[in-house]
Amino acid sequence: MGETESLVAEYAAHLLSGDVEKAVSRTREIIASGVEPLDFFRTIFTPSMEAIGERFGRLEIFLPELMSAADTALAVSEEVLKPAIRELQSSVSLTHGKIVLGSVKGDLHTIGKSMVALMLNVNGFEVLDLGVDVAPKEFIERALEMDADIVGLSSLMTTSMPYMKEVIDLRNGLGHQEKFFVIIGGAPITAEYCEKIGADAFGRDAVEAVKTCIQLMKSRSDGQSPGGSRS
Amino acid sequence: MRHRGRLADVLRRAEDGPITDEKEFETKLVAQTARDFIAKYDITYDGQVVIPEDDDLADRLFEAAMEFSTAVGMLCTDTNRRILWSRDEYERGLRECVARAALGEGNDIARLTHRGVDDPTLPVVIGGPFGVEVPEDLFVPLMLSYAQESLIDVIDNPTLEAVDGNPIKAASPWEILGAWRELELSKQVLMRSGRPGLCVAGVEISPTALGEISATSWGGFRPSDLHHAAGISEFKTNYEALSKVAHIARVDAQLYSFMACIFGGYFGGPEGIALGLSAGGIVLNQNYMPTILSLSSVHPFLQCTTTPEILWAVSASAQALSRNTGLLISSLVRPSSGPGTRTLLYENATFAIVSTVSGHAFIQSSMSAGGTHARHASGLEARMSAEVSRAIAGMSRAEANRIVANLLPLYEARLKDRDIGQPFEEVYDPVSVKPAAEWLETYLDVKDELLQMGLPLDR
Repeated sequence: MGETESLVAEYAAHLLSGDVEKAVSRTREIIASGVEPLDFFRTIFTPSMEAIGERFGRLEIFLPELMSAADTALAVSEEVLKPAIRELQSSVSLTHGKIVLGSVKGDLHTIGKSMVALMLNVNGFEVLDLGVDVAPKEFIERALEMDADIVGLSSLMTTSMPYMKEVIDLRNGLGHQEKFFVIIGGAPITAEYCEKIGADAFGRDAVEAVKTCIQLMKSRSDGQSPGGSRS
Repeated sequence: MRHRGRLADVLRRAEDGPITDEKEFETKLVAQTARDFIAKYDITYDGQVVIPEDDDLADRLFEAAMEFSTAVGMLCTDTNRRILWSRDEYERGLRECVARAALGEGNDIARLTHRGVDDPTLPVVIGGPFGVEVPEDLFVPLMLSYAQESLIDVIDNPTLEAVDGNPIKAASPWEILGAWRELELSKQVLMRSGRPGLCVAGVEISPTALGEISATSWGGFRPSDLHHAAGISEFKTNYEALSKVAHIARVDAQLYSFMACIFGGYFGGPEGIALGLSAGGIVLNQNYMPTILSLSSVHPFLQCTTTPEILWAVSASAQALSRNTGLLISSLVRPSSGPGTRTLLYENATFAIVSTVSGHAFIQSSMSAGGTHARHASGLEARMSAEVSRAIAGMSRAEANRIVANLLPLYEARLKDRDIGQPFEEVYDPVSVKPAAEWLETYLDVKDELLQMGLPLDR
């Protein structure tokens, strides 16, 4: 194991410990030793979070540990990384993108959706989780308020799936189709359904959702707009 | 039912219990308390056997579940209040629980009774395409494929796709029309199968209270049918669910209440899931006052209930509840594979073995192909669960473990492939409702294999 790899492993263990104080002080130590904050973010912090996400994907750790790591990472980011990067007057963003997500109206399933939210979070997305039983208009309003890049819709029930289409119809009908992507997910969701209702992408589970959202953000930076058009 | 006298008390506690933030409830109360009690009661999964043979483990698990239930209770998300009960009150609730029931009517009544561990009493079998979406034109033939099976005592409806081509939307008038269309189609199934009194588990199309309450009113589903009310994962309820409970109590109908703990979620791994399911039985019995309790766990990535860790948790919790209460308990099999595949039959057979010897009174089969693919279900896979549960009833956990050890290698490595198989119309003739030759041949082959493994399917 190389020096960076062992540092990543050690840092991931700090995040997983849930001990915010220790994680913050270790971060300060590493930066004080001469590692640039941005380099730290790219080569240690982000890979550590990705490693934690991968461990959850293999169920070597469970949701409480994932939540604890996400909370610790957020504290490190707020207390150390953001101020350090601001000091450098850098405009570099610490997130891949902004996501609003929730379970659509009529659906009260929360845990699968929370897993997706956390996995996105630990993989560098800023996530606003609207919870369950969310009305179509609420998704649109909150996405616009937050200037979100992606709206994630979850449904485990066929009777709630029609509300996914309503969100997309509302986005397009209100003229916001170029503002954010819509990704859908949940046990009964298929690629065919995704295409049928005009969603931009779908994810089978929390692991795939992360990969797909990263891909959507990449396509956006390559000039691809939501709704399939090229800007 | 005598235990439903506490209905108003349940509802009152949902109004004046301690106020608790939902995130706090999940992360601090559920997750942390589960961790504490797993350690305190030394609940451990060693991966050696799928069906624990240690009675002391089952009893420790029950004690942990009683303590968990008392400490955590159930959160009503509409009031943000916890419904709490003392240990004495839970014990009284368990003493007054339904330990035997009659489902359906007339000559088709199915009588189920509490079962113990290694119990020779035959469980009641419910067959149906649990959670599987189906178009209107396939509803009747698909359900007949279950109703025509003589070993199936109760049928469970699928999820109807549309009413006259209109999608059924939760919390809309379409939910009401969907529920009534489900009833109309169910009546056709009962008449055509020649089992008019057969108990039907419905309303399946009722994500909110609208569908259930509407289609359980005059002219709708009968009180002797099996009505649904779900707990929300983990350990939560709301006004919709409690409204169903209140209505079902007032029309004196049979209630099937269920809750699923997500594997890898707030309860963590197998030990936590075993605790969650055991406590789920205690809490749901107290707050929903059901006839039958269904307690399941699902793998978040494989979408199935048939991994060894989940089977262990299901068995351990079943043993905890069947040894220490008179509850009518159950768990839904959710195989990763679908109709037409050998793996589906292996998964259903394994789950039926684990379920039956662990004390389940009600064998549910099945949510084929993980319940995620429309029309992917058929009566034959439920017949497998029924035949296996009859054959294994009365055998010991040790004997059952030997058979399960032979079955697991036949499917475990293939769970990740998610072979959804074929839709109903390809594995059955929808007109004659006869299984296709190839599907029947696969079934008989697997049955022979099970016989070779020592499962007395020929007795």
